[in-house]
Amino acid sequence: MSERVVDILISSFPRILGQGLLVTIPLTAISFALALIIAVICAMVQIADVKGLKQLVRFYIWIIRGTPLLVQLYLVYFGLPDLGLALPAFPCAVAVFALNEGAYCAETVRASIEAVPRGQMEAGYCVGMSYTQIMRRIVLPQAFRTAFPPLSNSLISMVKDTSLAANITVTEMFMATQRVAGRTYEHLALYAEVALIYLMFCTVITWLQRLGEKKLNAMNGGNVIRA
Amino acid sequence: MLEVTGLRKSIDGREILKGVDLAVEKGDALAVLGPSGGGKTTLLRCLNYLERADAGTMTFQGQRMDMPALSRKDIAAYRRHTAFVFQNFNLFSNKTALQNVTEGLIVARKMPKAEAADRAMAALERVGLAERRDAYPSQLSGGQQQRVAIARALAGEPDVIFLDEPTSALDPELIGGVLEVIRTLAEEGMTMVIVTHEVHFARQVSTRVLFMDEGAVLADAPTAEFFEEQKLERIQSFLRSLNRKEG
Repeated sequence: MSERVVDILISSFPRILGQGLLVTIPLTAISFALALIIAVICAMVQIADVKGLKQLVRFYIWIIRGTPLLVQLYLVYFGLPDLGLALPAFPCAVAVFALNEGAYCAETVRASIEAVPRGQMEAGYCVGMSYTQIMRRIVLPQAFRTAFPPLSNSLISMVKDTSLAANITVTEMFMATQRVAGRTYEHLALYAEVALIYLMFCTVITWLQRLGEKKLNAMNGGNVIRA
Repeated sequence: MLEVTGLRKSIDGREILKGVDLAVEKGDALAVLGPSGGGKTTLLRCLNYLERADAGTMTFQGQRMDMPALSRKDIAAYRRHTAFVFQNFNLFSNKTALQNVTEGLIVARKMPKAEAADRAMAALERVGLAERRDAYPSQLSGGQQQRVAIARALAGEPDVIFLDEPTSALDPELIGGVLEVIRTLAEEGMTMVIVTHEVHFARQVSTRVLFMDEGAVLADAPTAEFFEEQKLERIQSFLRSLNRKEG
Protein backbone atom coordinates (compact mmCIF):
# COMPACT_ATOMS: atom_id res chain seq x y z
CA MET A 1 0.00 0.00 0.00
CA SER A 2 1.42 3.33 -0.98
CA GLU A 3 2.10 6.02 1.53
CA ARG A 4 -0.55 8.17 -0.18
CA VAL A 5 -3.28 5.58 0.42
CA VAL A 6 -2.26 5.21 4.05
CA ASP A 7 -2.40 8.96 4.47
CA ILE A 8 -5.85 9.15 2.88
CA LEU A 9 -7.13 6.31 5.06
CA ILE A 10 -5.83 7.91 8.23
CA SER A 11 -7.01 11.41 7.42
CA SER A 12 -10.47 10.24 6.27
CA PHE A 13 -11.01 7.92 9.21
CA PRO A 14 -12.09 10.55 11.76
CA ARG A 15 -14.36 12.19 9.19
CA ILE A 16 -16.10 8.94 8.22
CA LEU A 17 -16.33 7.63 11.77
CA GLY A 18 -17.56 11.07 12.85
CA GLN A 19 -20.46 10.92 10.39
CA GLY A 20 -21.11 7.42 11.68
CA LEU A 21 -21.36 8.60 15.25
CA LEU A 22 -23.19 11.81 14.42
CA VAL A 23 -25.59 10.58 11.74
CA THR A 24 -25.66 6.81 11.16
CA ILE A 25 -26.06 5.88 14.82
CA PRO A 26 -28.63 8.54 15.76
CA LEU A 27 -30.55 7.79 12.55
CA THR A 28 -30.59 4.09 13.41
CA ALA A 29 -31.38 4.60 17.09
CA ILE A 30 -34.27 7.02 16.56
CA SER A 31 -35.73 5.05 13.64
CA PHE A 32 -35.48 1.73 15.43
CA ALA A 33 -37.03 3.06 18.64
CA LEU A 34 -39.97 4.39 16.62
CA ALA A 35 -40.14 1.13 14.65
CA LEU A 36 -40.46 -0.82 17.90
CA ILE A 37 -43.33 1.38 19.06
CA ILE A 38 -45.07 0.94 15.70
CA ALA A 39 -44.41 -2.80 15.85
CA VAL A 40 -45.88 -3.31 19.32
CA ILE A 41 -48.96 -1.23 18.50
CA CYS A 42 -49.52 -3.07 15.21
CA ALA A 43 -49.01 -6.45 16.88
CA MET A 44 -51.41 -5.61 19.72
CA VAL A 45 -54.07 -4.37 17.29
CA GLN A 46 -53.87 -7.69 15.46
CA ILE A 47 -53.80 -9.84 18.60
CA ALA A 48 -56.69 -7.99 20.23
CA ASP A 49 -58.52 -8.15 16.89
CA VAL A 50 -59.57 -4.50 16.84
CA LYS A 51 -62.08 -4.30 13.99
CA GLY A 52 -61.17 -1.89 11.20
CA LEU A 53 -57.77 -1.08 12.67
CA LYS A 54 -56.65 -4.62 12.07
CA GLN A 55 -57.37 -4.37 8.35
CA LEU A 56 -55.53 -1.06 8.26
CA VAL A 57 -52.49 -2.66 9.91
CA ARG A 58 -52.51 -5.59 7.50
CA PHE A 59 -52.70 -3.14 4.60
CA TYR A 60 -49.77 -1.11 5.94
CA ILE A 61 -47.64 -4.24 6.41
CA TRP A 62 -48.57 -5.46 2.93
CA ILE A 63 -47.55 -2.20 1.25
CA ILE A 64 -44.30 -1.80 3.15
CA ARG A 65 -43.10 -5.35 2.78
CA GLY A 66 -44.04 -5.44 -0.88
CA THR A 67 -42.02 -2.42 -2.00
CA PRO A 68 -38.26 -1.70 -1.90
CA LEU A 69 -36.90 0.46 0.87
CA LEU A 70 -35.02 2.58 -1.65
CA VAL A 71 -38.21 3.25 -3.60
CA GLN A 72 -39.95 4.23 -0.36
CA LEU A 73 -37.14 6.71 0.39
CA TYR A 74 -37.46 8.26 -3.08
CA LEU A 75 -41.24 8.39 -2.88
CA VAL A 76 -41.21 10.28 0.38
CA TYR A 77 -38.22 12.55 -0.24
CA PHE A 78 -38.60 13.33 -3.95
CA GLY A 79 -42.26 12.42 -4.44
CA LEU A 80 -44.16 13.98 -1.56
CA PRO A 81 -42.98 17.55 -2.33
CA ASP A 82 -45.19 17.28 -5.43
CA LEU A 83 -48.09 17.12 -2.99
CA GLY A 84 -46.71 20.08 -1.09
CA LEU A 85 -45.19 17.93 1.64
CA ALA A 86 -41.47 18.60 1.66
CA LEU A 87 -39.54 17.21 4.61
CA PRO A 88 -35.85 17.83 5.29
CA ALA A 89 -33.69 14.82 4.48
CA PHE A 90 -32.96 13.56 8.00
CA PRO A 91 -36.56 13.52 9.34
CA CYS A 92 -37.60 12.04 6.03
CA ALA A 93 -35.10 9.19 6.45
CA VAL A 94 -36.21 8.63 10.05
CA ALA A 95 -39.86 8.40 8.96
CA VAL A 96 -39.16 5.95 6.15
CA PHE A 97 -36.82 3.71 8.17
CA ALA A 98 -39.20 3.66 11.14
CA LEU A 99 -42.24 2.82 9.01
CA ASN A 100 -40.31 0.25 7.01
CA GLU A 101 -38.72 -1.55 9.94
CA GLY A 102 -41.93 -1.19 11.96
CA ALA A 103 -43.80 -3.37 9.47
CA TYR A 104 -41.22 -6.16 9.66
CA CYS A 105 -40.88 -5.96 13.44
CA ALA A 106 -44.67 -5.97 13.82
CA GLU A 107 -44.68 -9.48 12.41
CA THR A 108 -41.84 -10.52 14.71
CA VAL A 109 -43.64 -9.15 17.75
CA ARG A 110 -46.98 -10.66 16.72
CA ALA A 111 -45.44 -14.09 16.21
CA SER A 112 -43.67 -13.85 19.57
CA ILE A 113 -46.87 -12.95 21.40
CA GLU A 114 -48.69 -15.78 19.66
CA ALA A 115 -45.94 -18.16 20.76
CA VAL A 116 -46.79 -17.56 24.44
CA PRO A 117 -49.00 -20.47 25.48
CA ARG A 118 -52.70 -19.64 25.87
CA GLY A 119 -52.62 -21.08 29.36
CA GLN A 120 -50.60 -18.07 30.56
CA MET A 121 -53.50 -15.81 29.70
CA GLU A 122 -56.03 -18.18 31.27
CA ALA A 123 -54.01 -18.51 34.46
CA GLY A 124 -53.88 -14.72 34.66
CA TYR A 125 -57.64 -14.46 34.30
CA CYS A 126 -58.11 -17.10 36.98
CA VAL A 127 -56.11 -15.12 39.55
CA GLY A 128 -58.29 -12.11 38.76
CA MET A 129 -56.03 -10.10 36.46
CA SER A 130 -57.39 -8.05 33.57
CA TYR A 131 -56.43 -8.49 29.90
CA THR A 132 -54.19 -5.43 30.01
CA GLN A 133 -52.52 -6.51 33.24
CA ILE A 134 -51.81 -9.99 31.89
CA MET A 135 -50.48 -8.60 28.62
CA ARG A 136 -48.15 -6.17 30.32
CA ARG A 137 -46.86 -8.33 33.16
CA ILE A 138 -47.00 -11.88 31.82
CA VAL A 139 -47.37 -12.17 28.06
CA LEU A 140 -45.27 -9.29 26.69
CA PRO A 141 -42.21 -10.02 28.89
CA GLN A 142 -42.26 -13.62 27.67
CA ALA A 143 -42.85 -12.55 24.09
CA PHE A 144 -39.97 -10.10 24.35
CA ARG A 145 -37.58 -12.92 25.20
CA THR A 146 -38.65 -14.72 22.02
CA ALA A 147 -38.60 -11.56 19.91
CA PHE A 148 -35.20 -10.36 21.13
CA PRO A 149 -32.92 -12.30 18.72
CA PRO A 150 -34.96 -11.53 15.56
CA LEU A 151 -35.32 -7.90 16.66
CA SER A 152 -31.55 -7.74 17.07
CA ASN A 153 -31.33 -9.02 13.51
CA SER A 154 -33.55 -6.18 12.38
CA LEU A 155 -31.45 -3.64 14.23
CA ILE A 156 -28.27 -4.93 12.63
CA SER A 157 -29.91 -4.79 9.21
CA MET A 158 -31.00 -1.25 9.83
CA VAL A 159 -27.51 -0.02 10.72
CA LYS A 160 -26.42 -1.02 7.23
CA ASP A 161 -29.63 0.02 5.47
CA THR A 162 -29.12 3.59 6.65
CA SER A 163 -26.42 3.81 3.97
CA LEU A 164 -29.34 4.09 1.54
CA ALA A 165 -30.12 7.47 3.07
CA ALA A 166 -27.12 8.76 1.12
CA ASN A 167 -29.44 8.65 -1.90
CA ILE A 168 -31.65 11.32 -0.39
CA THR A 169 -28.76 13.61 0.60
CA VAL A 170 -28.36 12.54 4.21
CA THR A 171 -24.63 12.86 4.83
CA GLU A 172 -24.23 9.71 6.83
CA MET A 173 -21.16 7.53 6.95
CA PHE A 174 -21.44 6.11 3.45
CA MET A 175 -21.94 9.47 1.77
CA ALA A 176 -18.95 10.86 3.66
CA THR A 177 -16.91 7.97 2.21
CA GLN A 178 -18.24 8.57 -1.30
CA ARG A 179 -17.12 12.16 -1.11
CA VAL A 180 -13.57 11.27 -0.13
CA ALA A 181 -13.47 8.55 -2.76
CA GLY A 182 -14.73 10.93 -5.42
CA ARG A 183 -11.94 13.31 -4.66
CA THR A 184 -9.09 10.81 -4.24
CA TYR A 185 -10.14 7.87 -6.47
CA GLU A 186 -9.03 5.42 -3.76
CA HIS A 187 -12.25 3.38 -4.02
CA LEU A 188 -11.00 0.02 -2.85
CA ALA A 189 -9.27 1.29 0.28
CA LEU A 190 -11.98 3.76 1.30
CA TYR A 191 -14.97 1.47 0.81
CA ALA A 192 -13.08 -1.26 2.66
CA GLU A 193 -12.51 1.25 5.42
CA VAL A 194 -16.18 2.17 5.73
CA ALA A 195 -17.13 -1.51 5.54
CA LEU A 196 -14.86 -2.12 8.53
CA ILE A 197 -16.54 0.65 10.48
CA TYR A 198 -19.99 -0.83 9.75
CA LEU A 199 -18.63 -4.18 10.86
CA MET A 200 -17.39 -2.56 14.06
CA PHE A 201 -20.81 -1.07 14.82
CA CYS A 202 -22.55 -4.38 14.15
CA THR A 203 -20.03 -6.26 16.26
CA VAL A 204 -20.91 -4.05 19.21
CA ILE A 205 -24.64 -4.77 18.66
CA THR A 206 -23.96 -8.50 18.41
CA TRP A 207 -22.11 -8.30 21.67
CA LEU A 208 -24.93 -6.35 23.29
CA GLN A 209 -27.40 -8.92 21.99
CA ARG A 210 -25.53 -11.73 23.67
CA LEU A 211 -25.44 -9.76 26.92
CA GLY A 212 -29.16 -8.98 26.64
CA GLU A 213 -30.07 -12.59 25.99
CA LYS A 214 -28.11 -13.69 29.03
CA LYS A 215 -29.97 -11.20 31.16
CA LEU A 216 -33.37 -12.13 29.71
CA ASN A 217 -32.67 -15.81 30.23
CA ALA A 218 -31.83 -15.21 33.85
CA MET A 219 -35.12 -13.37 34.25
CA ASN A 220 -36.97 -16.36 32.86
CA GLY A 221 -35.23 -19.01 34.89
CA GLY A 222 -32.71 -20.04 32.26
CA ASN A 223 -32.98 -21.69 28.88
CA VAL A 224 -35.40 -24.53 28.69
CA ILE A 225 -33.30 -26.24 26.06
CA ARG A 226 -29.81 -27.06 27.20
CA ALA A 227 -27.15 -28.98 25.40
CA MET B 1 -73.15 -22.57 47.61
CA LEU B 2 -72.62 -23.15 43.89
CA GLU B 3 -75.48 -24.41 41.82
CA VAL B 4 -75.70 -24.77 38.07
CA THR B 5 -78.71 -25.77 36.03
CA GLY B 6 -79.17 -26.44 32.33
CA LEU B 7 -75.54 -25.87 31.33
CA ARG B 8 -75.11 -26.32 27.59
CA LYS B 9 -72.05 -25.83 25.43
CA SER B 10 -71.28 -26.59 21.81
CA ILE B 11 -67.86 -26.24 20.23
CA ASP B 12 -67.61 -26.18 16.43
CA GLY B 13 -71.17 -27.42 16.10
CA ARG B 14 -70.57 -30.41 18.36
CA GLU B 15 -72.62 -30.48 21.51
CA ILE B 16 -70.14 -31.03 24.38
CA LEU B 17 -72.48 -30.38 27.32
CA LYS B 18 -76.12 -31.32 26.93
CA GLY B 19 -77.78 -29.66 29.86
CA VAL B 20 -75.72 -30.33 32.98
CA ASP B 21 -77.01 -29.70 36.51
CA LEU B 22 -74.82 -29.74 39.56
CA ALA B 23 -74.72 -28.43 43.09
CA VAL B 24 -71.75 -27.95 45.39
CA GLU B 25 -72.21 -27.29 49.08
CA LYS B 26 -69.63 -25.60 51.26
CA GLY B 27 -67.03 -28.18 52.28
CA ASP B 28 -67.90 -30.53 49.45
CA ALA B 29 -65.18 -32.18 47.42
CA LEU B 30 -67.00 -33.03 44.24
CA ALA B 31 -65.18 -35.49 42.02
CA VAL B 32 -66.14 -35.41 38.35
CA LEU B 33 -65.50 -38.81 36.78
CA GLY B 34 -66.13 -40.31 33.41
CA PRO B 35 -64.51 -41.42 30.17
CA SER B 36 -62.31 -39.07 28.13
CA GLY B 37 -64.22 -36.82 25.81
CA GLY B 38 -67.27 -36.88 28.04
CA GLY B 39 -67.19 -33.15 28.66
CA LYS B 40 -65.61 -33.05 32.13
CA THR B 41 -62.95 -30.48 31.36
CA THR B 42 -65.33 -28.31 29.33
CA LEU B 43 -67.74 -28.37 32.27
CA LEU B 44 -65.04 -27.17 34.64
CA ARG B 45 -63.87 -24.48 32.22
CA CYS B 46 -67.44 -23.24 31.87
CA LEU B 47 -67.72 -23.07 35.65
CA ASN B 48 -64.90 -20.51 35.72
CA TYR B 49 -65.92 -18.83 32.43
CA LEU B 50 -62.78 -19.87 30.56
CA GLU B 51 -65.34 -21.20 28.12
CA ARG B 52 -68.56 -19.33 27.67
CA ALA B 53 -71.63 -21.53 28.17
CA ASP B 54 -74.34 -21.35 25.49
CA ALA B 55 -77.05 -21.73 28.10
CA GLY B 56 -77.26 -22.20 31.84
CA THR B 57 -77.93 -20.50 35.12
CA MET B 58 -75.47 -20.31 37.97
CA THR B 59 -76.31 -19.45 41.54
CA PHE B 60 -73.25 -18.60 43.57
CA GLN B 61 -73.60 -17.61 47.23
CA GLY B 62 -77.17 -16.59 46.63
CA GLN B 63 -76.43 -14.61 43.47
CA ARG B 64 -78.16 -15.74 40.30
CA MET B 65 -76.15 -15.37 37.12
CA ASP B 66 -77.09 -15.97 33.53
CA MET B 67 -74.02 -17.83 32.33
CA PRO B 68 -74.03 -16.87 28.61
CA ALA B 69 -74.64 -13.19 29.35
CA LEU B 70 -72.51 -12.53 32.43
CA SER B 71 -70.55 -9.30 32.01
CA ARG B 72 -66.77 -9.17 32.06
CA LYS B 73 -66.88 -7.21 35.29
CA ASP B 74 -69.14 -9.75 36.99
CA ILE B 75 -66.93 -12.58 35.78
CA ALA B 76 -63.91 -10.85 37.31
CA ALA B 77 -65.78 -10.38 40.59
CA TYR B 78 -66.86 -14.04 40.60
CA ARG B 79 -63.32 -15.19 39.85
CA ARG B 80 -62.06 -13.42 42.96
CA HIS B 81 -64.02 -16.05 44.90
CA THR B 82 -62.72 -19.00 42.91
CA ALA B 83 -59.43 -20.53 41.86
CA PHE B 84 -58.46 -22.83 39.03
CA VAL B 85 -55.75 -25.47 38.91
CA PHE B 86 -54.82 -26.54 35.39
CA GLN B 87 -53.81 -29.91 34.08
CA ASN B 88 -50.54 -28.49 32.79
CA PHE B 89 -50.03 -26.06 35.69
CA ASN B 90 -49.78 -22.84 33.65
CA LEU B 91 -47.43 -21.18 36.09
CA PHE B 92 -46.27 -17.77 34.82
CA SER B 93 -42.95 -18.81 33.33
CA ASN B 94 -41.35 -15.36 33.74
CA LYS B 95 -42.08 -15.31 37.48
CA THR B 96 -40.56 -17.18 40.41
CA ALA B 97 -42.61 -19.54 42.55
CA LEU B 98 -43.20 -16.78 45.09
CA GLN B 99 -44.08 -14.21 42.42
CA ASN B 100 -46.50 -16.68 40.85
CA VAL B 101 -48.40 -16.70 44.10
CA THR B 102 -48.17 -12.98 44.87
CA GLU B 103 -48.91 -11.76 41.33
CA GLY B 104 -52.69 -12.04 41.55
CA LEU B 105 -52.75 -10.70 45.09
CA ILE B 106 -50.74 -7.59 44.28
CA VAL B 107 -51.95 -6.83 40.77
CA ALA B 108 -55.58 -7.95 40.83
CA ARG B 109 -56.43 -7.55 44.51
CA LYS B 110 -54.21 -4.53 45.18
CA MET B 111 -52.77 -6.11 48.32
CA PRO B 112 -49.68 -4.41 49.81
CA LYS B 113 -46.53 -6.24 48.70
CA ALA B 114 -45.39 -7.27 52.17
CA GLU B 115 -48.77 -8.68 53.10
CA ALA B 116 -48.98 -10.55 49.77
CA ALA B 117 -45.50 -12.01 50.34
CA ASP B 118 -46.47 -13.20 53.83
CA ARG B 119 -49.61 -14.81 52.57
CA ALA B 120 -47.80 -16.38 49.62
CA MET B 121 -45.11 -17.83 51.87
CA ALA B 122 -47.80 -19.34 54.07
CA ALA B 123 -49.41 -20.89 50.99
CA LEU B 124 -46.07 -22.24 49.73
CA GLU B 125 -45.45 -23.71 53.16
CA ARG B 126 -48.78 -25.51 53.02
CA VAL B 127 -47.70 -27.28 49.83
CA GLY B 128 -44.21 -27.90 51.21
CA LEU B 129 -42.31 -25.66 48.82
CA ALA B 130 -41.34 -22.64 50.91
CA GLU B 131 -37.65 -23.30 50.31
CA ARG B 132 -38.18 -23.19 46.51
CA ARG B 133 -39.65 -19.70 46.60
CA ASP B 134 -37.06 -18.20 44.26
CA ALA B 135 -37.10 -20.98 41.67
CA TYR B 136 -38.57 -20.35 38.23
CA PRO B 137 -41.10 -22.84 36.86
CA SER B 138 -38.49 -24.23 34.45
CA GLN B 139 -36.35 -25.13 37.46
CA LEU B 140 -39.13 -27.10 39.17
CA SER B 141 -40.36 -30.63 38.54
CA GLY B 142 -43.89 -31.10 37.25
CA GLY B 143 -45.09 -32.13 40.67
CA GLN B 144 -43.51 -29.09 42.28
CA GLN B 145 -45.01 -26.82 39.62
CA GLN B 146 -48.45 -28.22 40.31
CA ARG B 147 -47.99 -27.69 44.05
CA VAL B 148 -46.99 -24.06 43.41
CA ALA B 149 -50.10 -23.76 41.25
CA ILE B 150 -52.16 -25.05 44.17
CA ALA B 151 -50.46 -22.54 46.47
CA ARG B 152 -51.34 -19.81 43.96
CA ALA B 153 -54.94 -21.01 44.07
CA LEU B 154 -54.99 -21.08 47.88
CA ALA B 155 -53.44 -17.66 48.33
CA GLY B 156 -56.53 -15.93 46.99
CA GLU B 157 -58.52 -17.59 49.80
CA PRO B 158 -61.12 -18.85 47.33
CA ASP B 159 -64.52 -20.16 48.33
CA VAL B 160 -64.16 -22.93 45.79
CA ILE B 161 -61.22 -24.40 43.87
CA PHE B 162 -61.64 -26.03 40.47
CA LEU B 163 -59.01 -28.64 39.67
CA ASP B 164 -58.76 -29.91 36.10
CA GLU B 165 -57.07 -33.32 36.09
CA PRO B 166 -54.35 -32.00 38.37
CA THR B 167 -52.16 -35.10 38.10
CA SER B 168 -52.69 -36.20 34.49
CA ALA B 169 -49.59 -34.47 33.19
CA LEU B 170 -47.31 -35.84 35.91
CA ASP B 171 -44.89 -38.74 35.98
CA PRO B 172 -46.24 -41.55 38.15
CA GLU B 173 -43.71 -40.97 40.94
CA LEU B 174 -44.73 -37.30 41.24
CA ILE B 175 -48.48 -37.85 41.48
CA GLY B 176 -48.45 -38.87 45.14
CA GLY B 177 -47.16 -35.55 46.47
CA VAL B 178 -49.81 -33.55 44.62
CA LEU B 179 -52.65 -35.88 45.66
CA GLU B 180 -51.43 -35.65 49.24
CA VAL B 181 -51.76 -31.85 49.15
CA ILE B 182 -55.26 -32.07 47.69
CA ARG B 183 -56.24 -34.68 50.27
CA THR B 184 -55.16 -32.37 53.08
CA LEU B 185 -57.20 -29.55 51.61
CA ALA B 186 -60.26 -31.78 51.46
CA GLU B 187 -59.75 -32.80 55.07
CA GLU B 188 -59.59 -29.14 56.03
CA GLY B 189 -62.95 -28.65 54.44
CA MET B 190 -61.91 -26.72 51.33
CA THR B 191 -64.69 -26.70 48.78
CA MET B 192 -63.44 -28.28 45.56
CA VAL B 193 -64.54 -29.56 42.20
CA ILE B 194 -62.00 -32.05 40.88
CA VAL B 195 -62.00 -33.51 37.41
CA THR B 196 -59.89 -36.62 37.74
CA HIS B 197 -59.04 -40.02 36.33
CA GLU B 198 -57.74 -41.20 39.70
CA VAL B 199 -60.80 -43.19 40.72
CA HIS B 200 -59.12 -44.65 43.79
CA PHE B 201 -58.22 -41.15 44.96
CA ALA B 202 -61.71 -39.84 44.21
CA ARG B 203 -63.16 -42.60 46.32
CA GLN B 204 -60.94 -41.74 49.29
CA VAL B 205 -61.13 -37.97 49.14
CA SER B 206 -64.37 -36.81 47.55
CA THR B 207 -67.66 -36.33 49.33
CA ARG B 208 -69.73 -36.58 46.15
CA VAL B 209 -69.22 -37.99 42.70
CA LEU B 210 -70.59 -36.67 39.44
CA PHE B 211 -70.32 -39.13 36.57
CA MET B 212 -70.37 -37.69 33.08
CA ASP B 213 -70.59 -39.39 29.73
CA GLU B 214 -71.23 -37.89 26.31
CA GLY B 215 -72.02 -34.48 27.75
CA ALA B 216 -74.64 -35.57 30.22
CA VAL B 217 -74.65 -36.41 33.93
CA LEU B 218 -75.26 -40.12 34.39
CA ALA B 219 -74.98 -40.10 38.17
CA ASP B 220 -74.64 -37.57 40.98
CA ALA B 221 -74.40 -39.21 44.39
CA PRO B 222 -72.53 -39.22 47.69
CA THR B 223 -69.22 -41.00 47.20
CA ALA B 224 -69.96 -44.09 49.28
CA GLU B 225 -73.29 -44.60 47.59
CA PHE B 226 -71.78 -44.05 44.15
CA PHE B 227 -69.16 -46.75 44.57
CA GLU B 228 -71.00 -49.25 46.75
CA GLU B 229 -74.53 -49.15 45.42
CA GLN B 230 -73.86 -48.46 41.79
CA LYS B 231 -76.69 -49.85 39.69
CA LEU B 232 -75.93 -48.39 36.29
CA GLU B 233 -74.26 -50.94 34.03
CA ARG B 234 -72.47 -48.14 32.07
CA ILE B 235 -70.74 -46.89 35.22
CA GLN B 236 -70.00 -50.34 36.57
CA SER B 237 -68.24 -51.28 33.35
CA PHE B 238 -66.29 -48.01 33.40
CA LEU B 239 -65.09 -48.68 36.94
CA ARG B 240 -64.27 -52.30 36.09
CA SER B 241 -62.23 -51.23 33.08
CA LEU B 242 -60.21 -48.88 35.31
CA ASN B 243 -59.69 -51.59 37.90
CA ARG B 244 -58.36 -53.89 35.22
CA LYS B 245 -55.94 -51.20 34.11
CA GLU B 246 -54.80 -50.48 37.65
CA GLY B 247 -54.75 -54.11 38.79
